[in-house]
Amino acid sequence: MNIKKMNLIRIFFLTLFCSSAQGHHVLGRPSYSLNEDSTTPPSMQVEVQVGEYYITYMVFPAFPSPNQPGRVNLYASRIDNGEPFQGQVIFKVRDNNWLNKREEVLGIQAVDDNVFRQGFEFQEAGNYIIRAEFESDSESYQIDFPLRIGDASVFGPIGVTVSLIALLLITVNLLQRKKLINAKISPKYRYKDKSL
Amino acid sequence: MIMTHPGLPYEWAIIICLLMIILIVLALRTSSIYEPRQYSINLVELPVIGPLIKFLTFNSWPLFILKLIVVLLFLFVITAGLFGSPIAERNLATVLTWNLWWTGVIVSVFFLGSAWCAICPWDTIAGWLIRRRLWYRTSSNNSLNLKLPKRLRNIYPALFLLVGLTWLELGFGFTINPYMTAFLGLLIMLLAIFSLAIYENKPFCRFFCPIGRTIGFYSQLAVVELRPIDTDICANCTTLECYYGTETIEPCPTRLVMGRLKQNTYCTSCGNCVQSCSKKNIAWRMRPPTREIAQDARSHWDEAWFMLILLGITSFHGVTMMPFFEKVLSKLGYMINDSGSLLLTFSILLFISLLISLLVYIFFIWLTKILSISPISFKKLFSGFAFTALPLAFVYHLAHNLNHLVRENDGIGQIILNPLGIEAEPLSMMEKHARHTEILLNQDLIFLLQSSLIVFGFWVSLKIIQNRGISLIKINGRYLLPMIMFSVLITGIHLWLLTQPMIMRM
Repeated sequence: MNIKKMNLIRIFFLTLFCSSAQGHHVLGRPSYSLNEDSTTPPSMQVEVQVGEYYITYMVFPAFPSPNQPGRVNLYASRIDNGEPFQGQVIFKVRDNNWLNKREEVLGIQAVDDNVFRQGFEFQEAGNYIIRAEFESDSESYQIDFPLRIGDASVFGPIGVTVSLIALLLITVNLLQRKKLINAKISPKYRYKDKSL
Repeated sequence: MIMTHPGLPYEWAIIICLLMIILIVLALRTSSIYEPRQYSINLVELPVIGPLIKFLTFNSWPLFILKLIVVLLFLFVITAGLFGSPIAERNLATVLTWNLWWTGVIVSVFFLGSAWCAICPWDTIAGWLIRRRLWYRTSSNNSLNLKLPKRLRNIYPALFLLVGLTWLELGFGFTINPYMTAFLGLLIMLLAIFSLAIYENKPFCRFFCPIGRTIGFYSQLAVVELRPIDTDICANCTTLECYYGTETIEPCPTRLVMGRLKQNTYCTSCGNCVQSCSKKNIAWRMRPPTREIAQDARSHWDEAWFMLILLGITSFHGVTMMPFFEKVLSKLGYMINDSGSLLLTFSILLFISLLISLLVYIFFIWLTKILSISPISFKKLFSGFAFTALPLAFVYHLAHNLNHLVRENDGIGQIILNPLGIEAEPLSMMEKHARHTEILLNQDLIFLLQSSLIVFGFWVSLKIIQNRGISLIKINGRYLLPMIMFSVLITGIHLWLLTQPMIMRM
């Protein structure tokens, strides 16, 4: 087995079993619920498991609009004994795009009845990432959750698809034309032409 | 709150076990039975249904209209997924794709074979864009018509994509995400367009499409087939319109010669052969569902892997919907310090489950080889008996999907009225309970159907073991016990899974 192959296998196993020593960085999966017995608006909820903790994150309302006040509720409890986290959580926000990595602090919240509550109000529609940060047992935790404000632009996938298809069709067409011209100037073609 | 569907009652499981014992005794006492081709019925000759099939298959435009409808539906799904509500149960994209189509298409395979492939929107859109014609053959097109590299001319690309699709579906949660459902639809469409634009014929349909190949393999158990009416006419045919096409009709997209066709695996039911054959010798036929898989289908190494992984994926699919799975996932995630939605842990579990199903099969093949004292190679035994996995996977897939299909499609009317789910609120607890209790079929009928499917699959697998045993190593009876044990083990696992409560998808 060559060295390149061995390195690849080593990287594969390292990726599989390595444990992050400093912090955890995650993105959860959202679900939506409605409680018709209370006046609470529909909520978006994400549950994740991070290091020693189960984290539940809820957003009220589920689909906040620009200039509409909303709230994030965060629950963190230890996996081993179910004990709720009692420290402080820093909530930060940033745009969910590759170009803008600038973060703003939304607030620092202490626990209240085992819940960390953070209010928000966004002026612009778009896709945001809320980051909750806390420290426990000298380990830092960073948990990222998606938040959509208003109707975010979804032309991305359609634009990319249409562009890719157009690029493909044009490329194939140009290659075919080149092939045709090459065929026309080839001796085989000239011979055929004379025979006509 | 997690809502679950009730599992198969234990009384039913006991009846199934008794029937399995009777079938094993019968299999050990009888030798294999060859089913002659004469058992097939030409569907075109049947009253009522015959003229309808003739109308659909002998003209190009009825199929074009069906394709157009499906393409419009597909585009509507993409629109709903990208622009509609992110609530899965309120959006047409997720409900139509995962609750109706993905579950229904597997059920349809038994009755209609690979009919879905004939109206597949991905291939249709790719064809329209690259061939530049809505129907009929055209000489000029937008394809480079390169030869597909030899290393890609096998079923492994489709197998790889099938595992990837399962990972996205169950691990990444695409089934509950309308946006990602639309994204996946676009991605598959791009794959179909690119492969048609670069390579000759339709490599997407034959080698790449995980859905088409799954349907293709399962359709070996279908009750219908597209075959020559008179095999002698095909034997003496020198024009081979089915393979080359005609001036107006495209050739077979997967390069099949109808006179030599023995299995449904690569047939896309497009009907080109029916229309192009100058002798009108190709027709839809009805047949016993066991004949092809037990005796006609030829074994290939790559196809054997596909069938076995398909079995592993099907079983794993069932396991992920058990209430205990989340706990196992969480514990393992904690052990390996995984974070978030535990994708790494899920991937490890998927990999382990596929590995286990393969190792179990390899163990029983090894036992068969030792018992038979045959000089046949391990590879030939591995490929030959792999057909046993197919009915076991298919019936469990059907029994499992039956739950999704009849228990999770309440509320479809609301989706039709508001397909994008605009202003729709998430399901309330009352609605969730209503959906949980309102089912399309009587519960006992569902149990009866599920039980019958499991028994049927087990019976077909025994038939395969008997026939393949004779054709591969000339053995019968007790020498086939290892493979019978394999079938019993897999059926037992599937039966146990069916008796467990199953988590409602949405």
